[in-house]
Amino acid sequence: MRNVERLCLAHFWVAFAAFLVAAVLGTWQMWVRSPLGANVGTPGHYFMSVTAHGVSMAYVLTTFFIMGFGYFVAVTALDRPLPGKPLAWAAYWLGLLGVVLAVIPIATGHASVLFTFYPPLTGSPWFYIGLVLVVAASWVWCVLMMVAMTQWKRENPGKPVPLAMFATVANAVMWLWTTVGVAAELLFQVIPAALGLVQTIDVGLARTLFSWTLHAIVYFWLIPAYIAFYTLVPRAAGGRLYSDTMGRLTFILFLIYSLPVGMHHLLMDPEHGNATKFIQVLLTAFVSVPTLLTIFTITASFEIAGRLRGGKGVLGWIGALPWERPMVLAAGLAFVMLGFGGFGGIVNMGYGMNAMVHNTAWVTAHFHLIFGGSVVIMYFAIAYEIWPRLTGREHISLMPLRLQLWLWFIGMIVMTFPWHWLGLQGQWRRVANFNYADPIIAGWGPWVVVSLGGGVILLISALLFVWNLAALHRGPAVALARPLYALAVHPPQRVPAALNGFGFWNVLVLVLMVLAYGFPIAQFVIEPSPSAIVHRVQ
Amino acid sequence: MAEDISPHVSEPHVLDRPWQVWSTVAVLGVVLSGILLGVLIIPIVQGRGAGLDAYTAICRALGLLPGSPAQPQPSDRTPPTPVSQVIWTPEVLQILARADVQRGYAKVQEVCVSCHGETGVSMSPDFPHLAGQSGAAIYKQLYDYRTGSRVHPLMTDIAKALDEPVIADVAAYYAGQPQRNPKPVTLAESPPEIVRLVELGDPRRNIPPCAACHRAGAGGPIETPVLAEQREEYIIQQLKIYASGQRHNDVYARMRTVASRLTDDEIAGLAAYYRAGFR
Repeated sequence: MRNVERLCLAHFWVAFAAFLVAAVLGTWQMWVRSPLGANVGTPGHYFMSVTAHGVSMAYVLTTFFIMGFGYFVAVTALDRPLPGKPLAWAAYWLGLLGVVLAVIPIATGHASVLFTFYPPLTGSPWFYIGLVLVVAASWVWCVLMMVAMTQWKRENPGKPVPLAMFATVANAVMWLWTTVGVAAELLFQVIPAALGLVQTIDVGLARTLFSWTLHAIVYFWLIPAYIAFYTLVPRAAGGRLYSDTMGRLTFILFLIYSLPVGMHHLLMDPEHGNATKFIQVLLTAFVSVPTLLTIFTITASFEIAGRLRGGKGVLGWIGALPWERPMVLAAGLAFVMLGFGGFGGIVNMGYGMNAMVHNTAWVTAHFHLIFGGSVVIMYFAIAYEIWPRLTGREHISLMPLRLQLWLWFIGMIVMTFPWHWLGLQGQWRRVANFNYADPIIAGWGPWVVVSLGGGVILLISALLFVWNLAALHRGPAVALARPLYALAVHPPQRVPAALNGFGFWNVLVLVLMVLAYGFPIAQFVIEPSPSAIVHRVQ
Repeated sequence: MAEDISPHVSEPHVLDRPWQVWSTVAVLGVVLSGILLGVLIIPIVQGRGAGLDAYTAICRALGLLPGSPAQPQPSDRTPPTPVSQVIWTPEVLQILARADVQRGYAKVQEVCVSCHGETGVSMSPDFPHLAGQSGAAIYKQLYDYRTGSRVHPLMTDIAKALDEPVIADVAAYYAGQPQRNPKPVTLAESPPEIVRLVELGDPRRNIPPCAACHRAGAGGPIETPVLAEQREEYIIQQLKIYASGQRHNDVYARMRTVASRLTDDEIAGLAAYYRAGFR
């Protein structure tokens, strides 16, 4: 394991501690918005909680998990020591300092601006500075990942980079591109406003820059799940990866198409014309391609495994799969949630349909199902898979692991299906409470209670998850010998340079970003729009 | 492509060229067809249906001209007839933010005190209390008196004698005075139909809830006045002149629309409700 166990575990425990806090807050939020908890707490408390929930889940859980997993992949997939380990530790402490700096203003109510900021709202400057430090820490990680791959390629000329590392570096490269938007927004617009240096802010420009980040960031969170699909799941299922090339293509497509599409978050915004929105919606349609490739490839890999295990007939291989293994079970459940969430997302992507659901619980349901469902359940599975390698101990029983995964799946479905339904009925999002005395809103009450039930199941699952991991630290010590990464049916011997690096793709991303975002951003310079007064949350 | 990358065929750099060429063609092909459709074809076709020439339709699609390429929207040149000259620009808000309370107090002592009281508590039912009123609300009304958007036999001339920073100073002074609650009553004493009107409005008559704007933090327009603890007689009088159209400085005719749909009993009930100090 090349001595990175403590580094990985330190990252994972920060991630999962934030996750646990956020799970408790999320359940509390659902309770106070339901008829059962109506009038508990003030809207101020609610938005403070939403901010903490969003920041913990979207920034802390993800960034620290992805960094920890990246370090793990870099040493296990490349089978060489991590370059710049002291830098990795420095980045860890920098990120942790950022989390502490951001949490203090949130907890004291000085940063209730939600994790997506919503200028002209501004909170305490420390909140933004803390988040910038978290991002800066992740930049160090990106550089280390690229250095690790470059050094390996130098030592192994002409050999294909192992898929897990190729995908991790794809994510690092994409993340560097992704964070340009939000970094520009924070450094040039929001932080000066929060510091009181400027009194007005161009909201249209701020939202445009954030949209640059807003879609690709979701793929930053998602790619570890896809890495697991391609490199861990086929092995756990007892088979082989159907196609290594398909995997490389998928991660390259994510790099290219997740960036110039963010304007589909601004379909209702007035600062852009229909033409630019159309172009980005068209590109958005292409984001479904890597996901469809993945579903095909992983299903084919599953079929290989099922047939190797004696599955017969058209569908018999499904039953023959080792569903008792957490990684296999999680992948199956993730696919179901990805299916529902993906169809919901296609509705959001359509200009006309989006107009009907734009500010409703439908959207909340969509991103909880995709991120909280498919992605986070794969984070669980990854943790279960690699924890024994990090601790040198083995799970005593897989039963509590499976129970936890099932509870997460059931909870997520029970929570988000009513949200979709309520969204179609017009239940708005980002509000602190509902007036259930209103006859129209009263009809939503029962469904809100059902979704609260889902939230409680999710909280139980979250607690069980942390318990399962903590218990492993006291499990019996074993020396694990089983291989981790799946082999491809045809292991690649040589691949074209385009499928073994990112130089060429970066040029293509640059061209795409200029075409997709050049005019939308330039228009704010050509003809500055009216600025909004900075509204300070105190 | 799986065959292409077998070890016998070729060196990676030779294989690389088709990948680069074809992926560039594919990606740029998608973007360029998106640009062709989104910037040219769709706007031109939509514009034709809406009676717009191609150039206008394309400019609208790009956001260079206002409006949608699909709709023959009225041109901007229609002369506007604003009900108020107040525009909440950053500059105006800066003036409000920089108001000098001491200067405001001096002007209040000189001009306002006889009707509105030194601390904003008026002596006569004809004059509103100003203590604890929103500064933006006082500013807008004084400005409207100055420009003639709102007319009053006394206030019009008084406001015309004040310049803009002084208006802001006076507004800031009164806004800083504590509100009073001379006659507190409990919520239970208000008739339920009035509470309902405040909280829910009356959708059948298209009356929005008063609290949607007139509650602290409700997010109504910035000029929304605080109604809690206002003089009952003053509220009745204002709702009636809104209903008749005599007062018409409310943006989008919001208050004229609401007031004209209220019965006399409701107006009296709402005035009593707000006099009592519910926020």
